[in-house]
Amino acid sequence: MTGRRGLVALATCAICAGSGCSSMGVEPWERGVLAKPEMQLVVDPLEAGIDDHIYFSKEASSGGRGFGGGGCGCN
Amino acid sequence: MASPCEVLSRAGRTVAREQLRAVAEEAWRIEEKFSRYRTGNVVDRINTAQGTPVDVDPETADLLDFAAELHRLSDGRFDITSGVLREVWTFDGSDRLPTAREVGRVLGRVGWDKATWVRPRLTLAPGMQIDLGGIGKEYAVDRAALLAAALDSAPCLINFGGDLMAVGETNHVPWQVGIEAVGPNGGNPARHIALARGALATSGDARRFLLRDGVRYSHILDPRSGWPVTGAPRSVTVAADTCTQAGMLSTLAMLMGGEAEAFLARQGVRYWCMR
Amino acid sequence: MGATDGGREPGSGQFVQRLAAATCSLLGIGSTVPVLAQEEPTWALDTSFLYYGESDERVQDLSLNVLARRLFADDKVLSFGLVYDSLTGASPSGAIPLNEVQTFTRPSGNDVYTVQPGELPLDDTFLDTRYALTATWQQPLGRLYTGSVGLSFSTEYDYTHAGLNFGITRDFNTRNTPLSLGAAIARDEIDPEGGAPLPLAPMGNIGDLSARRPGTEDKDVVDLLIGVTQVVNEHLLVQVNYSLSDSSGYLNDPYKILTVVDPATGEGIARVPAPGTAGPLHEYRFESRPDQRTKHSLFVQGKYYMGGKVLDVSWRYMTDDWEIDSHTLEAKLRWPLGDRGWVEPHLRFYTQTEAEFYRPSLPVGELPEFASADYRLAPFDAWTAGLKYGFRTASGNEAGIRLEYYRQDGSVPDGLLIGNQDGDALSPELDAVILTVSYGFDL
Repeated sequence: MTGRRGLVALATCAICAGSGCSSMGVEPWERGVLAKPEMQLVVDPLEAGIDDHIYFSKEASSGGRGFGGGGCGCN
Repeated sequence: MASPCEVLSRAGRTVAREQLRAVAEEAWRIEEKFSRYRTGNVVDRINTAQGTPVDVDPETADLLDFAAELHRLSDGRFDITSGVLREVWTFDGSDRLPTAREVGRVLGRVGWDKATWVRPRLTLAPGMQIDLGGIGKEYAVDRAALLAAALDSAPCLINFGGDLMAVGETNHVPWQVGIEAVGPNGGNPARHIALARGALATSGDARRFLLRDGVRYSHILDPRSGWPVTGAPRSVTVAADTCTQAGMLSTLAMLMGGEAEAFLARQGVRYWCMR
Repeated sequence: MGATDGGREPGSGQFVQRLAAATCSLLGIGSTVPVLAQEEPTWALDTSFLYYGESDERVQDLSLNVLARRLFADDKVLSFGLVYDSLTGASPSGAIPLNEVQTFTRPSGNDVYTVQPGELPLDDTFLDTRYALTATWQQPLGRLYTGSVGLSFSTEYDYTHAGLNFGITRDFNTRNTPLSLGAAIARDEIDPEGGAPLPLAPMGNIGDLSARRPGTEDKDVVDLLIGVTQVVNEHLLVQVNYSLSDSSGYLNDPYKILTVVDPATGEGIARVPAPGTAGPLHEYRFESRPDQRTKHSLFVQGKYYMGGKVLDVSWRYMTDDWEIDSHTLEAKLRWPLGDRGWVEPHLRFYTQTEAEFYRPSLPVGELPEFASADYRLAPFDAWTAGLKYGFRTASGNEAGIRLEYYRQDGSVPDGLLIGNQDGDALSPELDAVILTVSYGFDL
């Protein structure tokens, strides 16, 4: 997939995903790449937790990706 | 074998080399003898006999005995004469399904019951063919494993493209085998299996399929109907005493389609199904 | 077709025995050796050591993080997390630099500390150690659903948190469009040193805790999340999440203050501590925030596989009823290096607008309902740039090292400046280095 087509697809799907496109997707036997650990949405939960905590205590926003872990007396 | 083959041995270097040589030679020997792609071998002679009887050697006779027994035990689902169905089924991802008539015509040449097997003589009806691909690889693993075990008692693992057999002493750090993860969001997480002795074989639904009107037709054909099995798992891995047994159980599980897990559960074997 | 004979159909117990017999016949062996294969009861352990250090003697944090996961048969997962955090250093108290020496009473009320002219006042009271624990159980619920339930707990000397979270995911479209719903509730207890100051109470002398509320304060948080992931093709995944977070209760930072200033000059208002005691030399007031906050977030993420490299891009938009709006743009590119290694450059951009009640200082005589000079509620941009190097060891374990630089740059709007105040001196600024070393292995 060329870079530009990839970008268009990404934009389309960000919109489509909300409405649930049933025409898109892959068959179970096409999931080789998607199964790779580096293709998971959160590759390193520990690192994500560390970053969330750092930015939670330095900025006014938090979460978005998910939640869990809890608060602290730093904001 | 059409897949990478390896030998992992905990024996000394010299012995391990001997084991590798023995395994490789056995693998090549079995491939030459039983591949349906080679001309002049026993399978080719059988497939070009055009109705005339063929006398076979003891090893081939053993395989045919095994195939016959499995045909009975599996209620006809396992059938080495079903290969000719590939004449009307081409699993290339397209939507070209054969018609019922086309399948019906080929089905006339499918069926172990249409063959006459009285050891050592095999008579196929004209137009019939045998394909030992369904048992050949696992049989080769077991034969190779026996040869390796005869050379040394140290733990040794034979791996022909994912079909494994571990022989030798059982009291050792087991071989670590991974079944790959499937799907995002941990739909089918990777499994770790510790194999100390015995076999693991996997039957899988590879990239061969047909797609028509949103229905996926897997490449696993039921020889009794000539049509694909429905509801088969993506892959089935079975642990058994020998690779031949593990391979047969995983193949039959796939042939049971939606009933794969139930079938394997009833056999009391360790299995891992991915859907 | 398909007629079956009871004793031989591949469903009866005889099948396995007959298969064994047929195999022994085929291989020319008398019997088989029983197979020894079992699923590894593995604990997958991820550990990470973090150093976070801000410049100018500000906050430094050392922490140890551990995540342990165990996979059970039938795809059930149990995980435990443990965090040990050690915080030292000082944080801006919210007071502004003045042209004179400043003295502040510590939150405990037992002591004072002094700041030189022109220096940004930093409060180093919260040298603290924090422990946090999480536990999560996840399992399939039928063929299409996965559910999870989790507990979280953390404690430090003046703050305790306890929380419960739930999640459920349903697969649509043969696992191409999983839909997730999540909810979390938490109850936090704050026990400020010296007691929580009354809103906008003046900072008193040593020993004066008259303007404090005894006892502990509570904060309740409810989070709701709905998210959908879409597999676009073999190489592209997109996720969209909407989340709602509602906090109520004690939302103040009990140690943050505002400098009271002359409305004409913007300079501090001098104060004389009572005789025989020490106290602030200028007037300060403790901050006051609303006791309610509702945040909405929209998060979009895409992962794109490009022949071995993985690009991860995300955008988060947050808006709340304190009038803070923020955007977070993040990009990571994972680049394989050789057989077992990889590098991952990382870029993050963050921007936020100020809270409606944010002001760097308070003109004397004005007593609004809410006011805070906490730089974290100020308008600013922040950049993070980093590089991570990871590799898989010979034994299959994962190791990684990451170095990042974080910079915050604010600009106080002119409308919030009073008198001769200099926007540059009052604008939030932060420089920090983040270093993490991580190692993952199986037990």
